[in-house]
Amino acid sequence: MICSFCSLLCDADAAHGDRTKVFDCSRRDQSIVRLSAIRENQSAAPSELVERSLCEARAHLKAADRVLITGRIASVATARSAVRLAAQLDATLDCAEEGHVFKNILAIQRSGLNSVSLAEARSMTDLFIVVGDDAMLDACPRMPMALQSDDGQQRMVLLLGSFRDESIQRWRESGFVVWSVECQISEVPKALNRCYEWVTGLRSTAANPGEGSFTLFDSMVRSRYTTVVWSAANLQVQQPDLWVERMLQWIASQNETTRCAAIPWSSLDGTFQQVCTWLTGFPGRIRFQGNVPHYDPGTSSYDHWMAGRGELVMGQDALDKSVVVVIDETATSTPFLPPLGWNAQACRRIELTPESEVFKTAVAGAEVPAEVFRADQTVLARVEPFLAIGTHVRSASYWLEKLAT
Amino acid sequence: MITRLIGATCIDGVSPSEVRDLYLSGETICSKPAAGQRIGAEYSLPNHIVVAGGIDLHTHIGGGKVNIARLLLPEFVQHSQTQAELDDRNSMMIAALSSPVPGTWETGRRYLEMGYTACFEPAVLPANARHAHAEMADTPWLDTGGYLLLGNDRLLLEWIATDVPQQQINDYVAWMVNAHQCCAVKVVNAGGIDAFKFNQRHLDIDGQHPHFGITPRQILSSLSQAVESIGLAHPLHVHCSNLGVAGNIAATLATIDAAESRRLHLTHAQYHCYGTDGPHGYSSEAKQLAERVNATPGLSIDVGQLQFGQTVTLSGDTMHQFANRKLAKPRKAIFQDLECQAGCGVLPFRYRHEQYVHGLLWSIGIELFLRVEDPTRVFLTTDHPNGAPFTSYPHLIRLLMDYDFRMSIFDRLHPDVQKTSTLPSLKREYSLDEIVQMTRLGPARALGLVNRGVLCDGSLADVVVYSRRENPEEMFARPKMVFRRGTLVYRDGEFLNPSSKATMVAELEVDPHMNDRLHRIWRSHYGYSTELIRIRRDELLSSHRTVEYTHKVGSTTPRT
Repeated sequence: MICSFCSLLCDADAAHGDRTKVFDCSRRDQSIVRLSAIRENQSAAPSELVERSLCEARAHLKAADRVLITGRIASVATARSAVRLAAQLDATLDCAEEGHVFKNILAIQRSGLNSVSLAEARSMTDLFIVVGDDAMLDACPRMPMALQSDDGQQRMVLLLGSFRDESIQRWRESGFVVWSVECQISEVPKALNRCYEWVTGLRSTAANPGEGSFTLFDSMVRSRYTTVVWSAANLQVQQPDLWVERMLQWIASQNETTRCAAIPWSSLDGTFQQVCTWLTGFPGRIRFQGNVPHYDPGTSSYDHWMAGRGELVMGQDALDKSVVVVIDETATSTPFLPPLGWNAQACRRIELTPESEVFKTAVAGAEVPAEVFRADQTVLARVEPFLAIGTHVRSASYWLEKLAT
Repeated sequence: MITRLIGATCIDGVSPSEVRDLYLSGETICSKPAAGQRIGAEYSLPNHIVVAGGIDLHTHIGGGKVNIARLLLPEFVQHSQTQAELDDRNSMMIAALSSPVPGTWETGRRYLEMGYTACFEPAVLPANARHAHAEMADTPWLDTGGYLLLGNDRLLLEWIATDVPQQQINDYVAWMVNAHQCCAVKVVNAGGIDAFKFNQRHLDIDGQHPHFGITPRQILSSLSQAVESIGLAHPLHVHCSNLGVAGNIAATLATIDAAESRRLHLTHAQYHCYGTDGPHGYSSEAKQLAERVNATPGLSIDVGQLQFGQTVTLSGDTMHQFANRKLAKPRKAIFQDLECQAGCGVLPFRYRHEQYVHGLLWSIGIELFLRVEDPTRVFLTTDHPNGAPFTSYPHLIRLLMDYDFRMSIFDRLHPDVQKTSTLPSLKREYSLDEIVQMTRLGPARALGLVNRGVLCDGSLADVVVYSRRENPEEMFARPKMVFRRGTLVYRDGEFLNPSSKATMVAELEVDPHMNDRLHRIWRSHYGYSTELIRIRRDELLSSHRTVEYTHKVGSTTPRT
């Protein structure tokens, strides 16, 4: 299976037959607890109320001058419905947390990409360079396990950034030979360049200073297949897309002589980006006009809307006719309630979330079946639900189809 | 309900073309309705031709590489017209796609408005199969199917290297085709994609894989045996070694030999028949390949014709895509190593008339079309979007049907191409019957689609009506009407009824032990169980989606 809480493989769970059981995954644990708490406190809204609310919501959408469809979309079905609704309404469409994904996307669109999928990386890689900090492991606690092969061969991991001892220990426990270098993440692309030049220079002059760093760097240069891993969501640098671009350029240059690839770690929102791309040609941040999608990473972004800039900068009358459709089909620990900017306060909000009072939305892959992309964006798995669902809870795609009719 | 098409010339490449009435009864064609059956609709169609729905047997319309090409190139999307304008336009000429890799909605509509009703994605990576099917499900109007990409999957290479019995490989291939709901098997640069992961930059057909020590010839032999043994209708679909490399005709002919007289399909053949002669060390060997095709009844090709202009190339052949990285325009590319199964490379590319190699490739493609005698064994493709977007088919048809038009393009090519090419001496002009054979009958036969591609009693009523025109490009760019399963879905530029879709799959007999065996291996090789990727048949079904079989357990395999 693919974990419906972090988009990573958690096959161990399925193999043990108990899909609710947590195997050393704090995030999954927290999500299940949170979801259970939500459901315990919820009761079914009267069906007349649901019908009336649907009618009202449709009326608002029909009357709206501007519509934004946003949120946390984690499944193919919901992404499809969201795109269809956006096309029907000539709406703007952007996932709320796509900002992270877009850091990678914008860099890829400028520079290209050399990437590798998880199983391939496990099989081929002799050196992983993992760039980030502890937050990366908190968001995806099973990352070390996902990168380790069970073929008995020890692989090296170089942690660059800021990692606590416990984090380093987790990599060791997963069987890696670990080197950790505390450094400014922003300096990593430049440092890698220098390091490779330095070692290559030393080797060509047969000089060996005998320092530990040389041993490390020499191993790096000798690597037959290096995989560089980062999670854009946890990159603490200014202008992350430029950082990603520099990393991609460094990786491309390595491939002139050896093999080197990236895993730009994604999360649940990667599914939306894939579906939106195949339906419209664009990965998100689009505005429909006459049923035709227009890509505008700047002004069609969720952040732009929420800050009350761009399309919302207009008279109060127009603001009254702006509607935001908020979708959340995840059990992410922070509930999704978009902070409306000063100029967007007057927007109407239609909420399709697990917490919603009316349109109670199931968590994809936990309460309803879902097709979900894995974190490396390669495998699209069908994730079967493993938690009970009340009759009053429906999939997000169900609600979106209702709003569209 | 019965629909009667009155007085059009019916052409299907099997029966002689003739002016007659054609009846569509329910979802099928019938020669004449039974007495008392009511005719629900009649269309008088003098000066029109009626043909079966077009079948594109090699077009990249779904899966990871197509989507990353879209992701890489948003700047290629140009909506010069709104969708409403596109829908309403009266021009007979098909407008350019909004992008060489448009979204699925546009892909479906644009194929239908050329008269195509079935398309096949030729490179479905196993790990990516659900994604490919999901995209194709979102491509309206078209029936679809996929060819499973094997021959670089490390498990297969390992098994060939350790000389496992051929039966084990047959069972594996059958299991994989079933599990991924595909209808054929494709091999891309056998072993070469995997060799590139070990930093090998070239692998000839008898070269050794750096890790497993096996050769592409062994892989091709084993896979072609498996495909034949398990009874797939379509022969092994081969993207040969040495794509685009001068002198690669030797590898292509050796590939044919590697199949040891078994049936074989060579794809985008124009990229695989180059010699080393001529002023630039790059020459046409189309004649050699065509002669081999003409002399080998079980051998078919699709051409993958290029057209001049901007496009994007995408291929599982990471090795050769990487080799061409510096030719990318604009200068950016994506390369992926994927799941111990294959890889992909995406490179934007601009073909120019005045560039020697581009002109040569164009002329080689046309040469192949003209030199292969049997139009049911050479198929009209551009390897969309690699050679050109599929919307260039009407233009390509004109090139084949009109010698003077062909020469008017030829005259614009690099002078050295004009000096060395034999194209001017090939006066053949395709007839309408031959165009229909290469775009309908031939692909249907090659894929085992027994009820498609013809206008016989009982065939599927996917029927296209074209107005006769002097200029075949205008004629094939925009049909008068398209019927899908007997229902009128398109008329005079207007899309009428939504139509149901089918996914074409092969249902094969599978060794019951293979599942457990692969489950264990999958866990250790890929880190997850086979259940993660195995696609259930019911996933392909919905209120508007059905499944059709190109082969079914217990049935006799139709043969080319």
